This record gives sequence, C-alpha cells and structure tokens, in this order.
Amino acid sequence: MFISHLAFADAPVLKLWHGYRGGEEQAIEQAAKQFTALTGTQVELLAVPYDALSSKLTSAIPHDAGPDVFIFAHERLRQFHRMKIVAPSGNGLDRSKYLKPSVDALELDGVLYGYPLSIKCLALFMRGDRGLTAPTTTAELENALTERRQNQFTLAYEAGDFYFHAPILFGFGGVLFDEKGRAQFDTPAMTKSLNWVKSLQDRKLMPQEVSGALVKTLFNENRAPFVITGPWFTGEIDGVPYSIHPLPTVSETGLPMAPFLGVEAAFVSSRTQQPELAQAFAKFLSLGDATIIRVTLGRQIPAELAAYDNEAVAKDPMISAFRTVAERATPTPNTLEMARVWEPMKLALRAVLQGGVSPADAGQLAERRYRALNREAPPTTTPVPWIIGLSIGLVTFGGWQLRQGKGKTFAKRYPEAGRGLLYVAPAATGLFVLVIIPFVIGLSLSLFHHDAGEYTFVGFANFADILTSKGYRITEPLSFYFTLVVTLAWTLANVVLHVSIGLFLAILLKDPLLKLRGVYRVLLIVPWAVPNYITALMWKGMFHQQFGAINAILGHLGIEPVSWFTQWSTSFAANVITNTWLGFPFMMVVSLGALQSIPTDLYEAAEVDGASKWTQFRRITLPLLKPALLPAVILGSVWTFNMFNIIYLVSGGEPGGGTDILVSEAFRWAFQRNEQYGFAAAYSVLIFFVLFAWSQVTKRLSGEESA
Amino acid sequence: MSDVRLVGIKKSFGENVIVRGVDLDVTPGEFLVMVGPSGCGKTTLLRIIAGLEQADSGDIVIGGKNMNEVPPRERDVGMVFQSYALYPHMTVKENMAFGLELRKVPRPEIESRVAEAARMLELGPLLDRKPKALSGGQRQRVAMGRVIVRRPQLFLFDEPLSNLDTALRVQMRGELARLHRALGVTMIYVTHDQVEAMTLATRVAVFNKGVLQQLGAPLELYNRPTNAFVAQFLGSPSMNLIDAKRDGAKFVGAGFTLPAVGDTSGEVKLGLRPQDLRVASEGPLRGEVEAVERLGFDGYAFLKTAAGSIAARFEGADVQVGQNVAVQPMGDVLHIFSADGAKALRHPEARGA
Ligand SMILES: Nc1ncnc2c1ncn2[C@@H]1O[C@H](COP(=O)(O)OP(=O)(O)OP(=O)(O)O)[C@@H](O)[C@H]1O
Ligand SMILES: [Mg+2]
Repeated sequence: MFISHLAFADAPVLKLWHGYRGGEEQAIEQAAKQFTALTGTQVELLAVPYDALSSKLTSAIPHDAGPDVFIFAHERLRQFHRMKIVAPSGNGLDRSKYLKPSVDALELDGVLYGYPLSIKCLALFMRGDRGLTAPTTTAELENALTERRQNQFTLAYEAGDFYFHAPILFGFGGVLFDEKGRAQFDTPAMTKSLNWVKSLQDRKLMPQEVSGALVKTLFNENRAPFVITGPWFTGEIDGVPYSIHPLPTVSETGLPMAPFLGVEAAFVSSRTQQPELAQAFAKFLSLGDATIIRVTLGRQIPAELAAYDNEAVAKDPMISAFRTVAERATPTPNTLEMARVWEPMKLALRAVLQGGVSPADAGQLAERRYRALNREAPPTTTPVPWIIGLSIGLVTFGGWQLRQGKGKTFAKRYPEAGRGLLYVAPAATGLFVLVIIPFVIGLSLSLFHHDAGEYTFVGFANFADILTSKGYRITEPLSFYFTLVVTLAWTLANVVLHVSIGLFLAILLKDPLLKLRGVYRVLLIVPWAVPNYITALMWKGMFHQQFGAINAILGHLGIEPVSWFTQWSTSFAANVITNTWLGFPFMMVVSLGALQSIPTDLYEAAEVDGASKWTQFRRITLPLLKPALLPAVILGSVWTFNMFNIIYLVSGGEPGGGTDILVSEAFRWAFQRNEQYGFAAAYSVLIFFVLFAWSQVTKRLSGEESA
Repeated sequence: MSDVRLVGIKKSFGENVIVRGVDLDVTPGEFLVMVGPSGCGKTTLLRIIAGLEQADSGDIVIGGKNMNEVPPRERDVGMVFQSYALYPHMTVKENMAFGLELRKVPRPEIESRVAEAARMLELGPLLDRKPKALSGGQRQRVAMGRVIVRRPQLFLFDEPLSNLDTALRVQMRGELARLHRALGVTMIYVTHDQVEAMTLATRVAVFNKGVLQQLGAPLELYNRPTNAFVAQFLGSPSMNLIDAKRDGAKFVGAGFTLPAVGDTSGEVKLGLRPQDLRVASEGPLRGEVEAVERLGFDGYAFLKTAAGSIAARFEGADVQVGQNVAVQPMGDVLHIFSADGAKALRHPEARGA
C-alpha cells in the first residue's frame, strides 16, 4: 500500500543496469514488466557490455548518475562496498529462501548486500552416447576409458586457468589463505594437485594447452567424453546427448573437488533516491515468478530454493543437476586478497603444464610472483612541494614571456592573433581533448599509487621502483630493463625482417615479365588487410603444440613437435613470425612504389659502367629507396615497439612474462595486477621517453637525408 | 682501339620490326656518325652494340670477339644516354668516378681523370652538385664526362649535344674531335645535327626504317647519294625532287622542260639542290613565292610550282612572298633517280673535286 502510494505520488522510475544478452536479457525485461504491472513503477533497463559494467558503475554511482539497482557477480562486492556504492539488503532478505552458499557469498562482515539471482559453477559434463557411468572419484575417472585412439582423451578442461584448478586444489586439501588472510601458494596440497594434473597430461588422458574452444571441439567431436565446464557450455553442445554431474572426489584424500561458486545478485545502489522501492524491486527479481522467468527463458541456475520445486524447472535436467553440483561449491571469496591470487596461480599452472617447472617448485614461483605484484604501497608524501614547484615554474615562465615582449602589448606583437586563433581552434581543440588532456592525466597519474579506489600521492616513487627494479632481479621478466631489452630486440627483429622480406618480394614483383603479377600483389597484401587480432589468433592456433598446423608440418618432416610457448626463444620467435606476416606487406608496398620510381636507364648506365647486379642493388637501388623507406622504417619501428595485440594474443607473455614488451607489461600492471594504475602510468611515461628519444634520433637521420 | 662489326642484325619489339638486317663495319679508330629520322632505330642499334638489348639475330663483333653473349659490363664500351641517366643520389664528381671505382682504379688516378674531364667539359664549379641542380645542358656534359673518364675501347654517343646552346655546341664539337684524335678510339655517334655529322664524322651511316641506306664519307654522301632518301636527308634545305619524263633530249614535267643529261629513259625523279638553283626573272621553273628564309645578304625562297614545292637560293635580290618568280639551275647540277627514288642513276660532276 505504502509502496504503491509512493509510486503514484512521484510517478517513480527505477533504473536497472545489467550485463545480460540474448535470453537472459529477455528474461530480465519480462520480469521488470511484471514488476511494473504489479506496482505501477516504471523500470528503465540499460544493458551494458559486461566488461564495461563494473567501471561504469563505479564511476557513475558516486556522481548520482547511476542506476537504482544493478546486477553483478558477487566477486566485486568488496570493491563496491569499499567505494560505497552498494546498500545493505537489511531484513528484506530471507536467508532460508535461497541456496545457502549463494547467500553466504553476499555477506560482508556479517552484513548482507543484494539479493541472489543465479549461480554459476563448474560441473562434470559427460557424453551420453558412450555407455559410460559418471565417475565419482578421480581413480574412476582416470580408468573410465579402457582404450583410446590417438588424439582421443578422457578429460578436457582449461587446465591453465586457476578457476578450473581451484576445485582440484581444494580436493587435495588445499587452503587458499593462511590464518592472517594472506594468500599462500607454496603448500603440499598445491604440489600434489599440480602433480596429479601434470600426470593426466603426461599419460595423455588430457590434451595440452586447452582453450575453451578446444574443449568444445573435443567434446562435440567425441574425442573427450568428459569435460569440466560451466552452465554456459550447454549452448555450445551440438545436439549430443549429455549429462551433468558433480566433480569427482579425489581418491587420495577422499575430499570432493569443490568448485568456486559465482553468484549473480541484484544490488541496490547506496545513492538511490527511492531505497524502499529499489529494495522491493531487487527482492522481486530474486523470487517467485521472476525466478521462473529467468530460469525458463534465460536458462539461469536459480539461487532461490523454491524454484527447484517448480514443475518446469524440475523437468530441466541441466538446472536440477546444477543444484546438486552447487551444494559442493564454495563461493568465490569476495576479499581483495582473492584478486591477487589469480595471476601467480596462473603462472605456476602454466609453468608446470608446459614442462618448464616441476610441481614441487611451482608454489615457490607463484609466491615470488605474488610478492612482486603486490608491491607495498610506497610511502605517501605530500604533494605540496610539487605544487609549489610547479607554480613557481609557471610563474617564472610567464614572467619571462612577458619580459620578452617588454613594452609591447600582446595585441601589438601579434596583430592578427584573433583571426589566427580562430583558424587553429578546431585542430587545437581536437589536439587538446585527444592528446594533451590524456597525456597530462597520464603524467599526473604516474605520481600516485592506486589501491582499491584510493589514490595516494607518492611522487617519483613509482619511477624509482621501476628503475631500481625493486622486488626482483634485473634479469627477471618483471624488471623494466629485461622488458626493455626484449622490446628492443622485438622491434629490431621485426623491422629487419619486414624490410628485407618486403624489399625482396617487391624486387620479385617488379619484374614486368612475371606472369600473374597482379594476382601475387593482391595476395601478398592480404595479410595486411585482415584485422591483426584475427591473424594473431590464427597464428596462435597454428602454434598449438598438439593441434597446430606448424607442428603438424614439422611432424611430417620428421621433426619433434615444438612446444612453442614454453621456451623464451621459441615463444619470441612465434611472436616475431606472426608480426612479420603482418608487417611485410606494408614494407613491400612502400618498396614497390619506390622501386618503380627508379628509372631503368640508371641500371643500364650502371651496367655499362661495369656494375654487377649486386653492386647495382647496393649502389643504386638502396640509396634511391632510402628516402621512401626511411619514414616507413621509422613508422614501422614505432608501431612494432607498441604492438600490443600480437604479444597479448600470441604468446601472452609466456613463458612467465618473458616475452612481454613494455606496453603489454604496462597493460598487465594496470588491469591484471591489482589495478596499479599509477605504476602502469609510470611505465607508460617511460615508454613515452624511450620513443621520444628515438624520434629525436630519427629526426636527425631523416634530416641528413633531405640535406 | 677496336673495330666493330655488325652482321645481319635484326631486332623487333613484338610485331614492330625496328632493325631490319644491318651489316656495318666500323674500322678501328673511326668516328662513325649515324643519322636518320626519329624512330628509325638508331638508339636501338646503339643499345644492341652496348649489350643493353639482345638482337633477335645477327652477330656483334667488337675487337674481333663475338659479343653476342657478353654482358655490357664486360664489353668495355662507354655510352652517353639520350636521357643522360645520371645517378640522382650522387654528386657530379661521384657520377663521374663511379665507373672508375668499380674498376678499382686508384684514388689519385680517379681524381686526376675527373679533374681533367671537368676542365674539358667546363664542369669545375659543379662538381659537388647533384644532378637535380643542373640544367639540361650541364647534365648532358656530366653524362659525357662519365664516359670520358672511363676511357673505354669504344664510345657510344646518343645525341650527346642536343641540349646545348649553339656556342657551347660548337665548342664541344671541337673538344670531341680533339678527344677523338687524342685517344684514337672508335666512336659511334648518333645525331640529328647535319653539321655535327659533316664535321665530326670519318664516315656517316644513314638509316631509314631500320635499314642502312648508305655508308660513306660525308662529302661522298652529299655529292653521290645512293637514293632519293639519302639525297633529301642530307643538305639543308633538302634537295628538291620533281617527277619528270625523258622526252628525246628533254626532261618534261608538270609545267617545265629541262635539257636532258645522261642516258636515262622513261619516268625518273630529278634532284636539284637548292644551293644549285638561283631565283631569277627567267628560268625553266616558275612559281609563286610561299616563304622566304633570309640568312642575311642571301637566303632561300620556297616556291609553289606546278611540279611541287621548290626551294632555291637567292643573293641580294629583293624576294617577297607572293611574287611570281623563276628559278635557274647553275650549270650541270642534275641528280637523276629512278622513278621510285630507290636508286641513283646519275650524279653531276662534283664541283671542286
Ligand atoms: N623497349 C621498346 N619496346 C617497344 N618499342 C620500342 C622499344 N624501344 C624502342 N622502341 C621503338 O623502336 C623504334 C625505334 O626506336 P629508337 O629509340 O631506336 O629510335 P631512334 O632512331 O633513336 O629515334 P630518336 O632519333 O627519336 O631518338 C621506335 O618506334 C620506338 O617506339
Ligand atoms: Mg634515339
């Protein structure tokens, strides 16, 4: 009564932000309509791409520009709470109505936030057409298949990702955090779990370097009857009969593999103007008819217990199976410490699976990486001297400028200034907004330390840490100098290859007698025309150790398959090969144009003068190509220096970050290592200085040329 | 010093036959000038000799050695290109020194040869410039210098003086003649300039449509052309050619009769050099003056007659366009060719010979 009264008085509108697509989006829209029909409150929905949703929420809500209710996974709850954008659900939430772990996940220091909507966790999918019984223990799983043909496996899952390894670690008795709440890595359970996974791979029960796409292929093509994956996988199964089971128990310990449970919840914004209404709406979405709609239409696994008794839901084998599975799951900790676990764990997993590090040493490796990534915040200093210094500088500069024009007013010195300013205004505005502002923000950011939404001023401490390589040796992949050397090597190798291959092909293609010249030209330019991330992903696939085309070819030639991303040299080579494939067409086109502008009679004159073909190339072709090629080389070197896509997508920095270049390293510090924005900005500033120095060198080079 | 022998050289580009079987003997130390209308294949022939173009058939023998399969750089020839072909990224000096460097000539020797050529070609102040900063004539001289410093066994020049002003051309002509005398090497020289041909050549080769028409000393060609083409090609203004028919003791043509000489019969072509004709009030040919080329005291008048256009010399007389005048041959000046012009039947006694 009270609610509807309020609703009519203010004609209230509730805003809901979510990251759903497809069926899930339809379901949430339908549920919102029901709410409107029931209460008369209009609901405005906004679908934000999931990747952008979190940052949009954290930036909009504090400025009262955000939604009243938003849907998000519970892992970010701690962060949302810290930034004070989420309101407690108070006694509106009835714990008994939901699956227990789903409510547990929403608890912070004894207070509950939001209303659980759906859950996600890993389960064991089994093909139904192989006459197999679901294994309940790891031993049963290992022996499930008595005979396998080549390239057939028992099990497939994304073993290189800690989300998938966590249940195994727990199954071996592992505990993520010590009594003080700090992440721990170097534990016996860690070693045992890694040992087991490695043995699966060594016994060829499981393939190597598994990606999500590979899991799908293997399952659909009947090459792996068991896969560990989540509810999203049901949409990727091609009409194959399957069933869903809890993860098996580890035979050695008798403990069940407990997957992480992710809970999606409807949270109420702390800044909503209509708290009661918003709470009512969030609660409404999590219960009753809304749940049924979300389950039937959106295929969500409900958090509400009552939903499982619903006839339609009970009939759905997927939904009911996940209920059983979820009972064993533990909510992903929503602590800040959890966010710090992922990268070290991933490093250890990959190192073991790719064979570079023994399972016993992997914990140590992760521990060291953890310490490196979670730098202690540098001591906070006061920005006052900085501000004073900057002000003095500005005043001095301004005074000096004024003295320069002593006796004359600005208008006298520049009589046409008004009109001139008008002309440059559009370009200047663009430059200011797109270049100057981001640059100044980046510069300032590099003087701060960021931790969970709080910035503290630390002066040059970030730079000092980077340049003194604090926390790791200079020769370790995390060190700035190591990365700088890799970046320079990467740039040099690429530019040399691009130019030599491009030039070589251009010389071949220039020959007017060559048949089908036009066709070759177009074909050779194709790599350039394809978006580079697509090419990068194709090459990544081709470098796959077991299924990649390159190892297949090497195999036919009788060469042992190469595990490309486990050694620095091969991983670096894979990056360079990919980028060379992308880069040579540009140099070829430039060279071809320049070559065609060299008159043929010069070669004839040289020929008569007594020059061999090689001398002609060296003394005529190269010097005449230089004016055209030099700018292309300069441009190419800068592009390559900052070629993020290839590094990120092909080697991904493997092994252990060794093939990362400066930009990808800056990216990791900003987005994969505790959001150390200040540190990443300092990296970017250093990149800027390196490129600035290079541009000074090239300016001199091309200056000499035109002289 | 080497001789050059071309035997049955043929060359075509696709369907177009450019050189149709040229046989040519160039004796050692000779200065051979090749002339012919534009597009007749002079440059092509030169390129074949240099080895830049492969002949379809025939043999090129230089210094007694068959060069058919020898690449240009081993033929020891120097060529001045019609398009100059200077290396744009090198200074004048570097352009000239390039060939010597490749032949590993010692540095001081290079310096002195370049300096010498620069002096001869008046390139001294330009040595450190790039070709971009040179005029057409200057470029041409650099192109000459590049070949001269190399002192090859055989020089090939493709219209090397065409872009120079008259004074410089006269001077360069002298220098070339001197160079030829000094080095005594064989030179083959293509030009459109009759004066160059007449003054420089030991022998002149006249080409037309890829065929060698006549080869001989300059005066011989002038006085005794083997056919109407050569007769018309050499001499300026070119020889008047008129159709006529032998009628007893006379040549009768459209609107004129001339006393017959020699023992020809039937249809012929009569050749009269303008220098041998005088504008007069009375004469066998008569017509209206269409144009006048006055060179000073004397000049040439171009008449429109019933037999066609006729050029004739005048001295002093006041000849105006539109006047009706006659022309008078100065003695025995009649060249007689077969009716199709392919063969000379008679030449007048060479004067002064
Ligand atoms: N590479 C080629 N391909 C096709 N045709 C060619 C080629 N080179 C020359 N020709 C043709 O051959 C003919 C003779 O050319 P060439 O350059 O020898 O003439 P030229 O006697 O030197 O004329 P000019 O006095 O104008 O320099 C011309 O009709 C020209 O178009
Ligand atoms: Mg020519």
